[in-house]
Amino acid sequence: MRPFTLSKPSTISQAVSGKNEAVRYIAGGTNLLDLMKKHISEPDALLDVTTLLSDTVQSAPKGIRIGAMVRNSVAASNSDIRSGFPLVAKAILAGASPQIRNMASMGGNLLQRTRCPYFYDITMPCNKRKPGSGCGAKDGENRMSAVVGYSEHCVAVHPSDLCIALAALDASVIVTGKDQKAIAIPFKDFHRLPGSTPEKDNNLPENAIITSIDIPANAFNKNYAYLKVRDRDSYAFALVSVAAALQLDGLRIREARLASGGVAHKPWRWYEAEQFLKGKEATQATFSQAADIVIKEIKPLSNNGFKLPMLKGAIEVALQNCLTA
Amino acid sequence: MGFFDNQPDIQHIPEGRIEGIAKVTGSGKYAAEYKVNNQCYGVLVGSSVAAGTIKSISLDDAKQVAGVIDILTHQHKPFVPGFADEAKIKEAHFGLPIFYTDKIYFKGQPIAMVIAETLEEATYAASLVSADYTIDKANVDFDKSHPGIAASNTGKERGSLDSWSNVPYVTEAEYTIQNEVHNPMEMHATIAQWTSDDKLKLYDKNQGVNNVQRTFAKLWNIPTGNIEVISEFVGGGFGSGLRVWPHTFATIMAARQVKRPVKLMLTRPQMFLLVGYRPASWQKIKIGADSNGQFAGIWHIAKHSTSVYENFEDGITRITRMVYKFSNLKTESAIVPLNLSAPTWMRGPGDCTGAFAVECAIDELSYQLKQDPVELRLKNLAIEKDPENGKTWSTNFLNEGIQKGATMINWKNRQPVPGQETDGDWKIGYGMAVGMWGAGRGKAGASIKMQRDGTITVRTAMTDIGTGTGTAMQNIAHDFTGISKNNIKVELGNSNLPPAPSQGGSTGLSSISGAVVATCEALKQKLAGYASLQNDVYKDALAKDILLSDTGISYKANFISYASLWEKNNLDLVEAEASSGPGEERQKFSFCSSAAHFCRVRVHSKTGKVKIDKMVCVVDGGKIVNEKAAANQVSGAAAGGIGMALMEEQPVDTRYGSLVGNDLAGYHFAVNADSPIVEVAFINKPDVNINPTGSKGLGEVGIIGSAAAIANAIYNATGKRLRNLPITPDKILQA
Repeated sequence: MRPFTLSKPSTISQAVSGKNEAVRYIAGGTNLLDLMKKHISEPDALLDVTTLLSDTVQSAPKGIRIGAMVRNSVAASNSDIRSGFPLVAKAILAGASPQIRNMASMGGNLLQRTRCPYFYDITMPCNKRKPGSGCGAKDGENRMSAVVGYSEHCVAVHPSDLCIALAALDASVIVTGKDQKAIAIPFKDFHRLPGSTPEKDNNLPENAIITSIDIPANAFNKNYAYLKVRDRDSYAFALVSVAAALQLDGLRIREARLASGGVAHKPWRWYEAEQFLKGKEATQATFSQAADIVIKEIKPLSNNGFKLPMLKGAIEVALQNCLTA
Repeated sequence: MGFFDNQPDIQHIPEGRIEGIAKVTGSGKYAAEYKVNNQCYGVLVGSSVAAGTIKSISLDDAKQVAGVIDILTHQHKPFVPGFADEAKIKEAHFGLPIFYTDKIYFKGQPIAMVIAETLEEATYAASLVSADYTIDKANVDFDKSHPGIAASNTGKERGSLDSWSNVPYVTEAEYTIQNEVHNPMEMHATIAQWTSDDKLKLYDKNQGVNNVQRTFAKLWNIPTGNIEVISEFVGGGFGSGLRVWPHTFATIMAARQVKRPVKLMLTRPQMFLLVGYRPASWQKIKIGADSNGQFAGIWHIAKHSTSVYENFEDGITRITRMVYKFSNLKTESAIVPLNLSAPTWMRGPGDCTGAFAVECAIDELSYQLKQDPVELRLKNLAIEKDPENGKTWSTNFLNEGIQKGATMINWKNRQPVPGQETDGDWKIGYGMAVGMWGAGRGKAGASIKMQRDGTITVRTAMTDIGTGTGTAMQNIAHDFTGISKNNIKVELGNSNLPPAPSQGGSTGLSSISGAVVATCEALKQKLAGYASLQNDVYKDALAKDILLSDTGISYKANFISYASLWEKNNLDLVEAEASSGPGEERQKFSFCSSAAHFCRVRVHSKTGKVKIDKMVCVVDGGKIVNEKAAANQVSGAAAGGIGMALMEEQPVDTRYGSLVGNDLAGYHFAVNADSPIVEVAFINKPDVNINPTGSKGLGEVGIIGSAAAIANAIYNATGKRLRNLPITPDKILQA
């Protein structure tokens, strides 16, 4: 690890004004410390924001505001989240390990970097880590890599489970930038596709800080499911994951949400399948057709063709599980 | 801190580990946790290429870092007599001649060691070391390389291949397993301290202190007794600590160079590179049976990877020659050198790999024959004689194990035709397989120190790598002396104590138990000698007739208290030492431990997920000394088997000559969520010929065959025969 200074700004405005390219915010540190140990991130200075950012969950009729410093484990057990937004709690609990969830912050979860093994090994090519060095995964060990939205420059996937639920529920990310003004970024616009600039994971304005995550009130708290298919049943990233939520009138689907992890550089919404589900009867046949729409979109790489049948199966099961949740 | 110190009253958990409290409270020290006065820290730098020659190493930036004391490289290192020239290096059989070569054999090979005042300084400076290489073409492609290397006979052929060419039932198939890495929780670490010019003290993670001692005595050309190796607590080994690795040697060189104690702990990424792994393998099995299901013959070819600088033979076909009666048998093997670090023994070495292929092939044959795989195995077991040498098995209860396991799993509920039992999207299946392991025993020594208050300390150099060796020693000493467990302490894992073999290959308990019994007898005899000065009746007393208690000695109802014995003889401390090893029984008998593995799996037809919902393991480990520790061994091994079957895999990228990934987030071994509570049962009958306690090792058999049982259950559930480990969800979906 490269030597760095550590300081603790006392206000958000102090933190933001002290931030520049060579400075990183540190909250839970569950990803950043790994990145620093492996020389992927080598900041001159760290700004400890743990006491600066809100660690509370505020509930209001129009939705819920989750402070950026709320720990993942606290969010997962928060009663307002569990009753109003249980998909979020479920997704959190599918990720990482209890120890990591105890440390990891909600804001930091959004900013965690891909787990692509080529990204983590500085002796390997990786355009995300070192632009222009090439993509090791594209024609290499890409079993875990993307099947949609990737580019020739990068096939990495976003590793978060939480973010899949937040994408499905149309959350927004509240950030404060250099101008000290709070702005809201819709979740679907927060993370990026790799294109020719895979080194950029998201659209957080330069030096800005996430202060909270807002989720609008919704009626997706009865029929929902988060299904994660992985090589082992705890502490493993998704081969594919599915966040599904339905609003039902009897058996008729009024609204549907469908998003996946383990498939793209960002949390991926299956909008076409959602549109298809709207107004249909919640039956196995309908779910199977929705899954067929999803897999039409995907283009597997050399070693992840299995994600096609796996995704189809996972979507069918997740939608079915919504009926019994 | 002694292995037993700081021990509160453990009466409420009589079968608990004697070192359990020390472990969970952190008072028991692992190698890297010692602090030696004036110690500094070493960090290894690995090569960034997989094959070639070092042209130059750039140390300037690293040397600028505050706190850096020195940097070892092949151009700057102390004189090592055992590496003095090429001939000596060859003679040393050490493997990689670290810092005594400019050749690069694998990516990550240590090319430098930075020594600094703090770990942080050493770590940072190490990141600033770079090198220029002449790069050669590296080959890490096992799949492409093994067909080019011919296999040759391993062991004597029995009968012939021709003689069973016309049998009606034949199965022929290929099986592969990827590299698997041990990754014990405790990282390998060494603190090396030269206490004088030719005296060395090591705090080291390993599985055999005397082996470490011998290795370095030879390399430094100093007497064995000049080296003290302390390995009191070892946080798992799985075979990775059975040999001495270059990093330990590098640490000793560093201490020599800077004339200070040096501490080195491997990083987790280095644990994937520098302390061995189970090599990738390819196997082909042809097995035939007559229409009754009597095995007619087997032809087993096995190849596995090794390094280019050192040959390693895993012994994959050994088990093929051991378990069943094959009148015709041919086993062949080959090793495939690659630009990877040297593999080594990993839990159930060889047999674990071989059993996967053989036990799956037998399962395949059973479906062809339409015979129950349990019945097919029982029919063909070599239960009386070791087929390899014709000797009678001292004991072999594998048949009983299979029958008991079948009852425990409710084998009768298994559908003989695959894919018949379902629960929604889940398909349910049963599978079984067996494992066997030659029950070895080595000569081991132990000693007992007895205090006036009647407490004793049982001591040996043998390590306890988490298997419960110390606890077993205490239990045996209690059984053979009569002294209560609370009055028996244990000291182990130090080369100053009576010598003992390494703890590996399931020989630890078998070896040490004889020594503990012999030492208990020596103690009784010694005490009887003192007692005879007070009472003549003790003159003819035999150890077996002497009883000890917490307060004194008795023989034929003649009790003498320790207090009086000590006072009359003016004693301070009574010491007895003895050793015990195998003898003539090895000429007469063959010895084995065995396990019967059964499992029930659920396979999700839409996602490919496999859940093991019941796992049964019946083990013949002779007499069970401590059932809790033994069951703990077996269930841990079974969880290892789940990992092997379903998820363990260290990929390589053949383009870059590189491992892909080197952390525990990406390398999956099974966790609690993947494993049911393993139902363990023991035959628990003593093998009276093997050693005085009748107990045999069981660390290996818990995993040998377990992966095959799972693969066989997946077939029974789905009709999909998966012959390539690990069986991850993608393989299920694409089969």
